[in-house]
Amino acid sequence: MSVTDSAAKAASAPAAGRRLTTARAIAEGIGQEMERDPDVFVLGEDIGKYGGIFGATTGLLDQFGPERVLDTPISETAFIGLGVGAAVEGMRPVVELMFADFFGVAMDQIYNHMAKIHFESGGNVRVPMVLMMAAGGGYSDAEQHSQCLWGTFAHLPGMKVVVPSNPADAKGLMISAIRDDNPVIYVFHKGVMGLPWMAKNPRSVGPVPQEPYETPIGEAAVARGGRDATVVAVSLSVHHALDVAEQMSAEYGVELEVIDLRSLVPLDRPAILSSVAKTGRLLIVDEDYQSFGMSGEIAATVAETDPGLLRVPVRRVAVPDVPIPYARSLERAVLPGPDRILEAARELLGV
Amino acid sequence: MDDKTRLDLYRVMVLSRTFEEAMLREYHADKKPAFDIGAGLVPGEMHLSAGQEPVAAGVCAHLRGDDAVTATHRPHHVAIAHGVDMDKMTAEIFGREGGLGHGRGGHMHLFDPAVHFSCSGIIAEGLPPALGQAFAARRRGGDAIAVAFTGEGAANQGAFHESLNLAALWKLPVVFVVEDNDWAISVPRDASTAITSNAARAAAYGIPGQRIEDNDVEAIYAAAGDAVARARAGQGPTLLEVHTLRLWGHFEGDPQAYRPELAEVPARDPIPAYEARLTESGVLDAAAISAIRAEASARVERAIEFAKSSPIPAPETARDYVFA
Amino acid sequence: MADVLFPRLSEKEPTAEGVLATWFVGDGDQVASGQLLGEVMVDKVSGEVVAPTSGRVRLLVGEDQTARQGDVIAEVD
Repeated sequence: MSVTDSAAKAASAPAAGRRLTTARAIAEGIGQEMERDPDVFVLGEDIGKYGGIFGATTGLLDQFGPERVLDTPISETAFIGLGVGAAVEGMRPVVELMFADFFGVAMDQIYNHMAKIHFESGGNVRVPMVLMMAAGGGYSDAEQHSQCLWGTFAHLPGMKVVVPSNPADAKGLMISAIRDDNPVIYVFHKGVMGLPWMAKNPRSVGPVPQEPYETPIGEAAVARGGRDATVVAVSLSVHHALDVAEQMSAEYGVELEVIDLRSLVPLDRPAILSSVAKTGRLLIVDEDYQSFGMSGEIAATVAETDPGLLRVPVRRVAVPDVPIPYARSLERAVLPGPDRILEAARELLGV
Repeated sequence: MDDKTRLDLYRVMVLSRTFEEAMLREYHADKKPAFDIGAGLVPGEMHLSAGQEPVAAGVCAHLRGDDAVTATHRPHHVAIAHGVDMDKMTAEIFGREGGLGHGRGGHMHLFDPAVHFSCSGIIAEGLPPALGQAFAARRRGGDAIAVAFTGEGAANQGAFHESLNLAALWKLPVVFVVEDNDWAISVPRDASTAITSNAARAAAYGIPGQRIEDNDVEAIYAAAGDAVARARAGQGPTLLEVHTLRLWGHFEGDPQAYRPELAEVPARDPIPAYEARLTESGVLDAAAISAIRAEASARVERAIEFAKSSPIPAPETARDYVFA
Repeated sequence: MADVLFPRLSEKEPTAEGVLATWFVGDGDQVASGQLLGEVMVDKVSGEVVAPTSGRVRLLVGEDQTARQGDVIAEVD
C-alpha cells in the first residue's frame, strides 16, 4: 500500500470507535487486568521506563510503579523462573521475553518447568503465567532476531499458545491469557504492533473497545468469508492474506476465505475443517519454518479427518527451512509475503 | 542449642535414613538378578540421599510450613525434613494414584503445596522458581522465605549465577544451600569448579557466603539459623555450602568405579557419628536410640504399605492434567 | 478552535523534522480533551499527540507524511 493511499485512508477513516495500535492494545489489556487484580505484575528486560522494546508495556510503569512493573537484569532463566515460582504461589506474572529467538537461553524454565509443573503435580499446582514475546521478520534483523518459533512452543505439551493479528484481538487475548490458570505463550509479531519506527500494515491500527473483554483462547476467527479457497494463517500473515484476497477478488473474481487461527494451542480444528469442507482448497501461510510445525499440523488435521475434503493438494507458504537472511532481497524471498501467497493461491485455484 | 533441638535433629536424620534404606530395599527387590532400571514396583532413576541428612535436618529445622523449599533430583531427605506428607510422597515414588502427583511426577517431581515443597530433575533449575516463591512471600507480607537446595556441580550452571545475582539485586528472602557431596555423578569437584569453595562465589554477588565442613549437623543448624533469620528480617539472600557425603551411588545402579575412596566412605557416615556424640553427652541412650529407630521404621513401613495399596493410574487417564 | 501541534521531541533541534506515524482518529471524529490522537517520530524518538480540548478534529497532515516540530498538524473545534 502506498504512502498516499494509506494517508488518504487514515485521514478519511470513519469514526469506528477509538483506535489503537496493537502495542498499545496489549499494554491496555495488561493495565486493565493489573487494575482489577493486584496479583498481576509485569517483568522483563526494558519493560519499565522503556515501555518494552516493542511497546507492549507502554505506560504501565507510570501507572503502577516499580513494585509491579519490574525491569530485570539480562537473566532470562532467573526471571522467567521467578515468574514460575510466583505463579506457583498464586500470583499472575506477565513475563516478557524480549525476542522469541531468546528462548534458547531459558528454555528449561519454559518447557520443563512452566509447562510441566501442573501435569507433574497431578493438577495440584497451577502456573497461571503469561510469557509474551516479540517475533517475526521483514525489517532486516536477520537470523537470531527474526524468527517466529510458535511451532516450537506449540509442539511441547503444557502451554497454550496465542498469536493475535490485530489490536482488538491482542487486547482480548491478553486479558484471556492473564485470567487463564494455565501458562500461556503470547506471541506478538513486531510487524503487527503498529510501531512508529517500523513499516506497518494499516491493519496494525484498529478499533479496540475501551472496556476489558476476553477473546476466547482456542477459537479461530473468519477474518474474511469466501467460497473458493481457504487460507489459514496467524499474525502478520493474516494481513497479507487479506490484502491478497482483496486483490484476487478484484482481478480474478475469486473469493478467498481467510481463517485467523488466533491460537495454536488449543488449535481450532473444527474451524479449519468446516472451511475446507466448504471450499475444498487449502493454503496455509506460516512465517515459522516450514517443516515439522504449524503448517504440517494443519495439513495433518485435514488429512487425518477426511482427505476427501480436498479437491487439490494442500499448499503451504512458509519459511523454507532456512535461517532468515540479512540482505533484504534474500529476506523477502524467504518470508511468506503477499507475492508468494498470491502465486500459491493462483496455483491452487488455477487462475 | 538445647538438647531437645539436638534430639529433633537426630530424629529427623534417622527418619530420613530409615526411609532411604527402605527405598533401597524396595527399589532393588524386583530388579534382580541383573539390574534393569525399568523393572519392578519403583522403576526409573532413583537418587537416594544417605549421608546428606545433616543438611536437610540442620536447615529445615528453622523452617515453617509456609516457607517454600525447592529441592533436586535427590529430594527425599529435604522433603522429609520439611514435613512433606510421607504417605503421599511414597505413593508418588511408587507411581500410584494416591501419590502427591497422582503418579504423574515420580521421585524427581514431588510437589506438596501444603508445605510449598517442590523438586526438579534439572540441575540448578530449582533456584529460579524459589526466587519467585520468595517474591510472592514478600508480596503477601509476613516473613516467609524460600530455600533452594542444589549441588556443588550445579553451582557451575547458568541458572545458579543468574539466580544469585537476581536474588541479591532484589534482596529476596532466599537461602541458597549447596550440598557439596564431592561428586557430580562421576566428576569430582576439582575437575568441575575453578575455585575450591562455592561459598566464595557469594562475594561475586555481594551476599554472605559460608562453607560448613565435616557434615556437622549442629554447625549446619547454626549457620542456617543465621541465614534464615537474615532472610526473614529482609536482609536478603545467603549462600551456604555444606561439605556433605554421598554414601551411596549417584543413582541406584551406579557401580561407582570412578570413586577411589569408596572403601572408606561408610566410616564417614554422619548418623553413627552424631549418635555417638549425643550418647557421650547423655542426650541419647540405647533405649532412646532404639525407640527412635522403631518409630522411624514403623512410620516408613506404614508409608510403603499406603503406597503399595494405592491404585495404579488407569491408562485412559494418561492425558489428564495437561491443562487446568 | 485549538491547534494541535507536532510535539517538540528534540530540544537540541527545535525545528527538526519528523514523521506523522499513526493517526488513531479519523478526520471529523469527536475527540475528548486529553485523548490520544496519534503518534509521531523524530529521529529515534516517538511521541504522543494528545487532544488539547474536546471537539471535532480536523487532520491536516496524513500518515507517513513529514512535518516539523511545532507545526500545526490538526485542529480541534
